[in-house]
Amino acid sequence: MVKKISVLAFGSLALAACNDPAASGGAGGARQEIRIMGSSTVFPFAKAVAEAFQKGDSNRKNPIVESTGTGGGIEAFCAGIGSQTPDIANASRRIKKSEFETCKKNGVTEIVEIQIGIDGIALGESIKGPGFKLTNAEVYKALAANPFGKPNLTKKWSDVNPALPNIPIAVFGPPKTSGTRDAFAELILEAGCKTDAATKALKETNEDKYKAVCHDIRTDGAYKEQGENDNLIVQKLSANPNMLGVFGYSYMEENSTTVRGVALENVAPNYGAIATGRYPGARPLFIYVKKQHVDKVPGIKEYVAEFVSAGTKGSYLTKLGLIAAPDDVRKKAFDAAANMTIIDGADLK
Amino acid sequence: MTDPNVQPARAPTDWSNPARQRLIKQRYAAERRFRLAGFFAVALSVLALAVLLVTMVGNGLNGFRQTELSVTFDLPTLTSGASADSLRGASADAAIRSMDLQGIVGLAVEQEYGSDSRDYLTANAPFLLRDMLQDDPDMIARKAKIWLPVASPIDIAYKGRGTAEAEKIAATLKANEKLRSSFNWNFLSASDATDPADVGIWGALKGSLLTLIITLAIAFPVGVFAAIYLEEYAPKNKLTDLIEVSINNLAAVPSIIFGLLGLVVFLTWFQMPRSSSLVGGLTLALMTMPVIVIAGRNAIKAVPPSIREAALGIGASPIQVVFHHVLPLALPGILTGTIIGMARALGETAPLLMIGMVAFISSPPGGFTDAATALPVQIYLWSDEVNRGFVEKTSAAIIILLIFLLGMNALAIYLRNKFETRW
Repeated sequence: MVKKISVLAFGSLALAACNDPAASGGAGGARQEIRIMGSSTVFPFAKAVAEAFQKGDSNRKNPIVESTGTGGGIEAFCAGIGSQTPDIANASRRIKKSEFETCKKNGVTEIVEIQIGIDGIALGESIKGPGFKLTNAEVYKALAANPFGKPNLTKKWSDVNPALPNIPIAVFGPPKTSGTRDAFAELILEAGCKTDAATKALKETNEDKYKAVCHDIRTDGAYKEQGENDNLIVQKLSANPNMLGVFGYSYMEENSTTVRGVALENVAPNYGAIATGRYPGARPLFIYVKKQHVDKVPGIKEYVAEFVSAGTKGSYLTKLGLIAAPDDVRKKAFDAAANMTIIDGADLK
Repeated sequence: MTDPNVQPARAPTDWSNPARQRLIKQRYAAERRFRLAGFFAVALSVLALAVLLVTMVGNGLNGFRQTELSVTFDLPTLTSGASADSLRGASADAAIRSMDLQGIVGLAVEQEYGSDSRDYLTANAPFLLRDMLQDDPDMIARKAKIWLPVASPIDIAYKGRGTAEAEKIAATLKANEKLRSSFNWNFLSASDATDPADVGIWGALKGSLLTLIITLAIAFPVGVFAAIYLEEYAPKNKLTDLIEVSINNLAAVPSIIFGLLGLVVFLTWFQMPRSSSLVGGLTLALMTMPVIVIAGRNAIKAVPPSIREAALGIGASPIQVVFHHVLPLALPGILTGTIIGMARALGETAPLLMIGMVAFISSPPGGFTDAATALPVQIYLWSDEVNRGFVEKTSAAIIILLIFLLGMNALAIYLRNKFETRW
């Protein structure tokens, strides 16, 4: 009986070892495939670039992209050099000074920083809408579950600010699982939340409480979750001119005949304002490359070059929702990718 | 003096008495309520299962179908007269690579369907054409009509869930009989991709298979031997009590903890390859082992002592007692425990997150040390995708996972019955 089991086990072992023509080779010795870890916002773009990179030359190994979040990605990236650590970290923010120091301490001294584009979240309304102009603080007071720690009693926009139209607060937006929602909370709600000095001070004393006060969105029906589908939000807006919607900027651009952006802090969401970072709902996306790995793992330079060239307007990445960076930033990225210029960390925070 | 054997006289129960009647009614009602409660409990779970299966199959069956577009390739013109002979022999690979197949496919589609049609086909189409040319080099010398898979927007529009714009395109193409639906073999043979029309489950399925082989190869023997030792040989003292309690606790530890353990032990200390099914299998083996030990001990305990005594009595050595008598009798129980543990391992994603198996990997693993992903991970990754074409693929992947699970259970039941009848 024991014999039979072992025969069975070895049989299935042999079956599993059947060769796939597309399979990557064994991992004996040095690593042959590029390892990428980090931000879930950058993940879909990194995936698309990985695919294009592999399709560009069938001799290349498929890069492996992990979605661990920016912090987790940079932590692994900074753990040291060698085949156990990733070659590239994806980040939806700049690397922090402390992370850079950790990197240095662990021997990761040569880091190349490349901004691949911009992530934009816009607040929009139907073109038949009343033409809202809001500040971050007004959006926060209207949508937070507990603005500045007190229950939210506002029902109409005019309750928030008498100068605003006398219509009920109703905003369509993505659910909790969405990265767009996170970015909306981080970029717009938190900015509005910080306008109150007492709440801002809470960040130092009780960070959890601060996060809850600043990021939690009301659940009494004023904010209507619409699933992960930004297109649906756009459609609903054109049918309900008095409502607002939160969605990725690329959807607004695509549907400019039915929706228009709501100006925040007197800046309308348009390509220029987002690309230069003047619109509050915009954040730059980065990749960090370990220069010490460039000679060890084949294809890193080509992968980065592919990423940078795909970050232009109208490319496959912008179809996935990436916003191309302004020309001077792109030029800098091109140069950094071509020359592998390392950063010295002097201007990091 | 009364006779102790004579019962005190007692009137027969008056069943027609209204108070009695009410009592009887109450009893029957209680009986009915109990039966109804039981029935509803079963009905609820059957309903939940039915809803799960119906939605999965309803959503997922479309995932097994792909829409194809008919494209006419005037290959002699498109390749400016490349000869079939150049595609044979040693230089064939280089010859094919030197052709701009992507451009050729784009041009052919544009010629047939107009300038807006560049995005009709999946990014995979040029590679399919390459494979066809490799199989049949003579094709290059003639005009060929080829069915190629369409990109996701048109694919889901053809299946009736697309955007208005894509549905218009699909309707026009369908009216001209340029679209057809066929079984999606690609889904069973490919790996992850960015376009839902190109994705496949084979990479994840193979990853799961390799991972489970490692898990079984480690957890089963270690678990069974631990159970045998603890039941048959170990003295009963404080130390073995402590071990027993620890094993029971280990079986209840949340799986993410095992992921952290795997990260530290296998990746950091032993420097094993990250994301590999080897590390995944070892980590899941740590998680599965306690379940097998507990089930194994219970099964061994259930073997009657008379069997052991009889075997010892006719001169069997302790090892013969264990392997000839106790183990075959206990094996059905051990296998049941093993299959529960393995099923749990098959459905686990949390520990795999820590060791890097939650990743975009676009080729199937070639061996135990290659980067791999697993079925539940793939389902999780696809369910997170924004693109609507992934909805049906997610459900289709769940169907595959359920079939895999059923297959595993069927194997266990077969083995259990086989060993049960042998003795």
